[in-house]
Amino acid sequence: MAISAEAPAIPGILPGKVGVWWFLASEIMLFGGLIASFIVFRLGSAGWHGEAAHLSVPIAAVNTLVLLTSSLTMVQAFATAERGDQRGPRTYLALTILLGLAFLGIKAYEYTSEILAGFTPGTGIFWSFYYTMTGLHALHVLAGAVVNSILLGAGRLRNPHRLELAGLYWHFVDVVWIFLFPLLYLA
Amino acid sequence: MASHGVRPNYVAIWGWLVALMIAGLAASFLPGARGLAVVLIFATAVAKALLVALNYMHLKFEPRLIYAIAIVPVLFLLVLTVALFPDFVFSR
Amino acid sequence: MRESGAGTLDTHEHHAERGFWRTYVFSTDHKMIGKQYLSLGLFWAVVGGLLAHVMRWQLAWPDTAVPGWGEVGPETYNVLVTMHGTIMVFFVAMPILLGAFGNFLIPLMIGARDMAFPRLNMLSVWVFALASLVLLVSFFVPGGAASAGWTGYPPLSAKVEYTGVNWGLNLWILAHALEFAAFLMGGVNYLTTAIALRVPGMTFFRLPLVIWQQLTATTLFLLSVGPLIAGAVMLLLDRIIGTHFYAAEGGGDPLLWQHLFWFFGHPEVYVILLPAVGLVLDVLPVFARKPIFGYRWIIYSTIAAGGLSFIVWAHHMFVSGMDPRLAMPFSITTILISVPFAYIMFAMIATLYKGSIRFDTPMLWALGFIAMFIVGGLTGIFNGSAPADIYISDTYFVVAHFHYTLFSSVVFGGFAGFYFWFPKMFGRLLSEPLGKIHFWLTLVFFNVTFFPLHNIGLAGMMRRIANPLEYEYLVPHQWINVVATVGAILLLASQIPFVVNVVWSLLAGKTAPKNPWEANTLEWTAPSPPPPLNWGATLPVVYRGAYEYSLPDMAEDWLPQDRALAARSR
Repeated sequence: MAISAEAPAIPGILPGKVGVWWFLASEIMLFGGLIASFIVFRLGSAGWHGEAAHLSVPIAAVNTLVLLTSSLTMVQAFATAERGDQRGPRTYLALTILLGLAFLGIKAYEYTSEILAGFTPGTGIFWSFYYTMTGLHALHVLAGAVVNSILLGAGRLRNPHRLELAGLYWHFVDVVWIFLFPLLYLA
Repeated sequence: MASHGVRPNYVAIWGWLVALMIAGLAASFLPGARGLAVVLIFATAVAKALLVALNYMHLKFEPRLIYAIAIVPVLFLLVLTVALFPDFVFSR
Repeated sequence: MRESGAGTLDTHEHHAERGFWRTYVFSTDHKMIGKQYLSLGLFWAVVGGLLAHVMRWQLAWPDTAVPGWGEVGPETYNVLVTMHGTIMVFFVAMPILLGAFGNFLIPLMIGARDMAFPRLNMLSVWVFALASLVLLVSFFVPGGAASAGWTGYPPLSAKVEYTGVNWGLNLWILAHALEFAAFLMGGVNYLTTAIALRVPGMTFFRLPLVIWQQLTATTLFLLSVGPLIAGAVMLLLDRIIGTHFYAAEGGGDPLLWQHLFWFFGHPEVYVILLPAVGLVLDVLPVFARKPIFGYRWIIYSTIAAGGLSFIVWAHHMFVSGMDPRLAMPFSITTILISVPFAYIMFAMIATLYKGSIRFDTPMLWALGFIAMFIVGGLTGIFNGSAPADIYISDTYFVVAHFHYTLFSSVVFGGFAGFYFWFPKMFGRLLSEPLGKIHFWLTLVFFNVTFFPLHNIGLAGMMRRIANPLEYEYLVPHQWINVVATVGAILLLASQIPFVVNVVWSLLAGKTAPKNPWEANTLEWTAPSPPPPLNWGATLPVVYRGAYEYSLPDMAEDWLPQDRALAARSR
C-alpha cells in the first residue's frame, strides 16, 4: 500500500504511522477549534448549567464506558495479531465494530429523546454546540466503524500494522469523547 | 518490525480508565465549591486521555518526532483558547 | 507498489502500455499528479483573472457595461470580489505552488521513487477536481455564486436574506471543505514522504530549501485549518438548520467566525508564500553559481516564522470591534514576524553578492520576486501595526499590500519555478527571448496596476465598493482607477508570450538534456522528463548539501549532491 524506502531514513519510523499521526494532528485542531469555542462561550455566558442539566448523564456515562471498552477491544485486536493469534484479531475487531455501533445507537436514542423534549440545535447556543460537537464526533465514530468493517471484510489481519493504524484513529476518537463527556455533561 | 519488548497490560489500563471515569462522575456530584469539582473532573479526563495516548496509541514507545506531532497542536489550541478569552469571556 | 532493494523495475515499457486513462487521468505517479494540479490551477487562474478584469473595468468606468459581460451592479460586484479572492487563494495559489511543485519536486529532490502514499495522492487531486467542479457549479445555481467576500463573514454569510445567495454559498462552503480535504491528504503525503523516504546520505540539513519550505508550509496548513473547518461547519449549520453560532440574537457572536477564520487565514498566507520562497531560494544559487547564504539560518527563520504565524492572526481584526487590549500583543507579534522574513530576504541578496550571475529567465523572475516582495513586505509593517492599520484597514492600501506579496509568490515565484523546472517536467526547453519578454512586460504592468492602489487607498478608497464615483471625495482620484485598469489589461496581454512559449515548446521545442542549468540537486540526475519510478535500477546516494557551487579547488563551478569524490574528505 505504501512505498517503503530502500533503507528507512529514521530507524523505527514506519511511513503509515507518521501519516496517521499527521492526520490526527489536523483532527486535534478540528475538534480543538470547536472545543475552544465552546469553552470560551461557556465561561462567558450565564445559564448554561441550567441547559446542560437537561442532558442525561447516565446515558452518556454508559456511552463513555462503551467507547472505553471498544478501545480495549481495538488494541487487543492489534495485540493478538502481533502475537500471531489466528482468531483473536477477527473477534476483537468485530467486537470493536459492535461497540462502536452501540455507541451510535445510544446516541441516536439520546438525540431522539432530546428533540422530542423540544431541544433542537436551534433552541439555544448551548444546544447548537452540543449537537455540533457530538454530531461531528458521532460522524467520526461512524467513519471508524466503516474503516474497521472494511479491514474485517478484507480479511488480511495477519499483519498487525494495519490494525495498529486503524487503532490509532479509533483511540483518538475515544480521546475526543473523553473530553466531550465532562465538557458537555459534567462541568 | 516490532522492536518493542514489553507491551502494556491493556486490560489493566482499561481498569484504570473505568475507575477514573467513575471518579470523575463522583466529583461532579460533590456538594460545595463548583470550582474544585471542575478541576477534579478535568484532571480525570486528562489522566484518561494520557493513559489512552501513551498506552493504547503506543506514544510511550514512539520516537520523539511522533510526540511532537501530537503535542504541538495542543499547544496551539491553548494559544487559541486564551486569545479568545477577552472577546468572549471578559466581555459577555 | 512495494519494492525492496534494486530489482528489475519497469520503466518506459510499462509507461507506454498503461494507456491514456491510466497515464493521464487515473495516475498515481507524483509527477503526473503535479501536472494535474498545475492544469487545474492554471484553468482557475484564467477564470480568476477574468473576474478581476470585470471588476477593474467596473471600477474604472462605473457607468458603462463591461464588454462581454454587461452591466455590473453592486450585488454582481460582490460576487466578483468574493469569487476572485476565493479562486486566487484556494484554487490558484495553493494548487500551483503547493500541489504542483510540491508533488513534482519532493520525491525527486529526496531520491524517492514516488510519494509515500501514491493512491492517496491520486485521491487528493481527484477530490480537488471535485472541489473545482462544485465551485464552478456554484456560479450557475439560482441565486448565483457566493457574495459574502472570500472571508465569508457572518451575519452576511449566515443568513440567506442578506445576500440573496442560497445554494451558491452552501456550495462555496462545500467546495472549501473538499479543497481542505484534498490538501490535508496531500499534506500528510508530503510530510511522511520527506520524513521517511529520503535516500541514504540525504540528512535533513542536506535537503534543498524547496523541501524545507514545502514541509513548513504543509505543517502550517495541517495545523491551522482545523479551527476553520470547525467554524465552517458552524456556518453551514447556521445557514441550514438554524443554529445560532454567529447570531447575536441567538446567543452567538459573529466575531467568533473572524477569530476562527483568521487563525487559519494568517498561516494560510504563509502556506502560499513559503513554497514560492523555496522556489526562489533554489533558483538563486544556480544562477549566481554560489552557495545559498546562511542555509541553516534560513531554515531556522522559516520555522520561527511558521511558529509565529500562529500568533499574529488578530492583526486582520484591528477594526472588527474585538477587545482593544488584543491590539498591542498582536501588533508586537506581527512586527516580530517581519524579522525572520527580513533575514531570508537579506540572505537572498547576500547570495547574489559576488556571484557570477547568469540572467536566464528563471533568474529574472527570482530577482523580480525579491524586489516585489520587499515592497509588499514593507507595506505589511504598516498594516500590522494597530495605530496605522486603523486608518488604512479595508482600503486599497491593503489590497496593494497583499497583491504585492501574493503576486510575488504566485507569479514571480511561480514563474521562476516554472521556467526553471519546465525542462525537467516536460522534456523541452522554453524559448529564452519569449521568456524575457514575458518577464519584463509582467514586471512593468504589474507595477502600473498595483502601485497606484497604495495611493488611492491612502486617499480613502474603500475595498469592495462597486462604484467609486458615488463618493465625492474619490472623484478627483478616479484617474488612478483608470490607470490601474489599463495596467491590468496590459498585464493580461503580457501573458500572451508565455502561452505562445509553452504551446510552441511543448509541440516543437528543443529536447531538454538531463541538466540544462548545471544544477546540483537530485532531480537533475533523472532523465528529462523522468520515467515512472524516477530513476533506473539504482537510486542516487547523497554525499553533500545542495549548494556546492564555485568551490575553490574544483574545475567545474558546480558539484552535484550525488557525485562521489575520490578519497579526499568532503
